[in-house]
Amino acid sequence: MTSQALVAAATLIAFALIVTGVAFGSAIGDGLVASKAVEAIARQPEARPNIFTFLFLGVGVLEAFPIIGLGLAFYMLFGIVGLPSGIYAALAGH
Amino acid sequence: MHEKLGEHILWHVPVLGAVHGDTIVTTWLVMVIALLFFGWVGASYRSAYQSRRQVVLEGVVNYIADLATSTIGPKGEPFVPFFIALFIFIFLMNQIGIVPFKILGIPFGGSPTADLATTVALSLIVFCLTWIVGIRYTGMKRIKHLVQPFWWLFPINVIDEAVRPVTLAARLFFNIFVGELLFLIIASIIQSRISIGFFNLSLTAAILPFFIQFFNFFVGTVQAFVFTLLAIVYLALSISDDH
Repeated sequence: MTSQALVAAATLIAFALIVTGVAFGSAIGDGLVASKAVEAIARQPEARPNIFTFLFLGVGVLEAFPIIGLGLAFYMLFGIVGLPSGIYAALAGH
Repeated sequence: MHEKLGEHILWHVPVLGAVHGDTIVTTWLVMVIALLFFGWVGASYRSAYQSRRQVVLEGVVNYIADLATSTIGPKGEPFVPFFIALFIFIFLMNQIGIVPFKILGIPFGGSPTADLATTVALSLIVFCLTWIVGIRYTGMKRIKHLVQPFWWLFPINVIDEAVRPVTLAARLFFNIFVGELLFLIIASIIQSRISIGFFNLSLTAAILPFFIQFFNFFVGTVQAFVFTLLAIVYLALSISDDH
């Protein structure tokens, strides 16, 4: 029982670390892309539709990596801890 | 939790082995919807007046056609219908997940793109297209790209080529899959009736599905667009003479 609890705790910590990492990285990347897009639009307002295309392409490509990380983290979490049936039932007290 | 994610109804087909039955049925449904939609839009071309549906669809078609021809050049014109079909097919497959088939008691449902089989098939189509068209248009130069600019860069070039379909498939799959997963997590929070002191967590979480659905709609549209745009860019890289 204690080793199971240890594994569950370690999995939760690992999940939190993964989510922190991917959120941190993607937030910085999104900020860079958006700031550069605003700069470019301010410099060349007539190129706005073109810039929007590449803004969405950049954000779409960039957002894929945190989502992939999040998906793999969820796989790990549900594979080891079994969150929906385990943790929440324990939290709710039944 | 009655809902199981990542589990599919298995059909045993003689040649192919086990296939995901619910994904196939939902994809057929999307095909029927797409055909009916295009038939409905196409029927408006019989009259001399320009209807609204015609204008909306022509906007989408013109946007992708301009994008393809401006990125690939005049060589890209024959492939414009393929990219338009790719965009609208992936868009409809992403958005069909909004219809709650499983709650209505129908055994299939959910986005077909939340299944790795669908996205791998789509990315393999794009991969084969770029290679076959590249070799047909530029001949041996397409293969010579693998050893340029230096011969010892061959392994890195091979990895670069091989990783493209993998990321193309994984990006679309995980975006749609995590969207469905978030729904299940919120549903499990609501279902388990958690209250911490006076703060009712389950009741508060009940507002989240609206925002998640909005997010999913946005993500489905953007990912369909990104998939199409990357297919255009890969084809452009493949059939350009310089580089």
